[in-house]
Amino acid sequence: MTGISRRTFLRRTGMVGGGLLASAALTACGGSSGGQAVSSGKVDLGVWTHDPGYVKTFTEMAKKLTDAPGGKYDYNLKFTQADSEALVTRMVSQGAAGTGTPDLIGIVISVFPRVMNGGIGKQLLLDLDSTIAPVKNDLLRTAPYTIDGKLYALESDTCLSVLYFREDEFKKNGIPEDVGTWEELAEIGARLHQKTGQSLGMVSTGDNTSVTNQFLQLLLQRGGGYYDEGGNLILDSPEAVEVLDFMAKGVASGFLISLPDPYGAPNTAALKNGKLIATVMPNWYNIYGLQSYVPEQKGKWRMRNLPRFKGGGHIASALGGTGFAVLKDKPGTTAATELLRQTYLTREGQLLRFQKGGFLPTLKSLYQDQEFLSTEDEYLGGQRLFDIYTPASQDSPTFYQNAKLNVLIEALGGPMLETLQGKKKAADAIKEAVAAYNAKKGG
Amino acid sequence: MAAVTERRTGSGAPARGSGLTPYAFISPFYLLYGLFMVVPIGVGLYLSFTEWAGLGTPLWIGLDNYTRLLDDGSFRTAVVNTLLYTLFAVFVVVPTALLVAQALNARGLRGRDFFRLTFFMPVVLSPIIIALVFTLVYDREFGLLNAALRGFFGWGGIDWLGEPSWAKVSVMFLVLWRWTGYLTIFFLAGLKNIPRELYEAAEIDGAGRVRSFFTVTVPMLRPVTAFVAVTVLVGTAQILEEPMLLTKGGPGEATLSVAMFIYREAFTRQQLGYAAAAGVVMFVLVFAVGRAAGSLFGVGKGR
Repeated sequence: MTGISRRTFLRRTGMVGGGLLASAALTACGGSSGGQAVSSGKVDLGVWTHDPGYVKTFTEMAKKLTDAPGGKYDYNLKFTQADSEALVTRMVSQGAAGTGTPDLIGIVISVFPRVMNGGIGKQLLLDLDSTIAPVKNDLLRTAPYTIDGKLYALESDTCLSVLYFREDEFKKNGIPEDVGTWEELAEIGARLHQKTGQSLGMVSTGDNTSVTNQFLQLLLQRGGGYYDEGGNLILDSPEAVEVLDFMAKGVASGFLISLPDPYGAPNTAALKNGKLIATVMPNWYNIYGLQSYVPEQKGKWRMRNLPRFKGGGHIASALGGTGFAVLKDKPGTTAATELLRQTYLTREGQLLRFQKGGFLPTLKSLYQDQEFLSTEDEYLGGQRLFDIYTPASQDSPTFYQNAKLNVLIEALGGPMLETLQGKKKAADAIKEAVAAYNAKKGG
Repeated sequence: MAAVTERRTGSGAPARGSGLTPYAFISPFYLLYGLFMVVPIGVGLYLSFTEWAGLGTPLWIGLDNYTRLLDDGSFRTAVVNTLLYTLFAVFVVVPTALLVAQALNARGLRGRDFFRLTFFMPVVLSPIIIALVFTLVYDREFGLLNAALRGFFGWGGIDWLGEPSWAKVSVMFLVLWRWTGYLTIFFLAGLKNIPRELYEAAEIDGAGRVRSFFTVTVPMLRPVTAFVAVTVLVGTAQILEEPMLLTKGGPGEATLSVAMFIYREAFTRQQLGYAAAAGVVMFVLVFAVGRAAGSLFGVGKGR
């Protein structure tokens, strides 16, 4: 320490430290996501997702696009993987800070209502209407990610609900695989439960989201819904009462088993010990559910389209999904939009997504494509998947979201559970839920 | 004093900037304290008077959030549930921890370290593991608890997580399981500090084990008990993890806590102003009750 006193050293250190703190504070308050838009060449993109399947898919597509002769961009993707709720929370807070938002983000369908609030989606996300324009009529699912008529995210998976069933158990118990209606299957299920203690489906009795999800699948299939296209609540309908009543009666007869949710340990136990030998779940449940929980039952499971309700409706339903959105006004916005377009709106991209992550095509025309049609699933005993998915894709209901969907789920969960437990009539539960929703939804 | 000042400044003339030097030295603390404590509290308070989804300019709405809270049945449910959890923690978990500590402190106990490890284990276990295990323990169809009840008593069809009242009990039991071992550590430390002679004197006076516990252990542990009780009270009033892990506030809102209510309003409904108002109310309640309990138990006072 030459030529400088201890006091001077401390003073200077203090000033430098204070300066650093002040600059950090100022940066946090200000900042900008701006910069010159990258129109070609090397581009760094931040991609946020909750699912490793998307990491594989986008990595592969980015490599293909970069390596393609005459490729416009040299993509360098930086992935951030986290819980789906946390991703949106962080995106909003980074958006408020004006810096650090991703270029591309996967928003789970049940989390999307958050960005429908307070103009978040409109302020942060790119309106994708012009991007999808060439294939607009070919896209299967846009409603859940639409805000005021504009599309802000592209669905990753059609999430078609089917009936998975144990072929061996059906044969053993003489249950026909082609039962036409839910009502017939319920009668068979009640008899089966009395005889063997087995069930042909499940209802969730866990948290409100799980409780309502099972109901939503059947409600959409029956032709009902939570909201209409204009965002108006349509839950108070004969279809909703009928479906909830059907579920409650199913639980009472043993046709349906009560489990906290279709994912946890109790559900796995029910599958493993053969108590649950059929279940209604979307296509992704094959990989993320059955194959994970009961790999030893490989070859024993099959799937079919849903039995119809006598009163009408569809042969399919849908549950879940993830919409990928592009953050607007960023240097990488154009490059990110191009990556998303190539991955989601081209045949090559859709095939890649199906191969890498098992995501079903979101373009109607591809349900007639030979490469998809010839796909067989070993776990499902070599079954040709698109023999089921193609008709399902042609008769799948539309799901409309609303910014207040989370309020509805909280309002609906309790009364619905009481109905499933036999303590409340279905009609009363629906009325109670609607009243609670109207009281809590606010402005 | 003048001489001292002269000696310190050396030449007698005040050095340039010397008045700011001490402040520069202590500034890092105040800067950090201001940035990460005062500013967030101030912003939170301000937000509680606004309507804000997280982006754009918050809209000033005065006391609307507070009046809305008073009419909100969910918030009332959350307050009542939190009160139940807190009472349970103070009046059941704390005494249980004391009894466990007393048992672990017994002379000649074999496997003491094993028991200590076992009781402390829940504190260090990952919340995800706890959620997985307890979901299976509590399950109505396949749960360990119902299986045990069926095995021992011939009945056991309780829907632990599906029935509102049982769900509350389940959350409370998880609180008991998770925190008893942690609190036991404080009581064990306190027990080690009680002079042996006091027990010997009590024994000479003819006191049995129970009498010694109430006349020696409990009074001597009063400062530790007070600290533990107030800490538990304040901590449980902000309970989030247990109901979140086990029931996500359900069935319906039967196990919803105030902290969960705040989380839900802020991070699933983007009503940050409303959540901030609930946070302010929670702060006022916890602060008031914490202070009252501190005075009641004599926290910080000498023996």
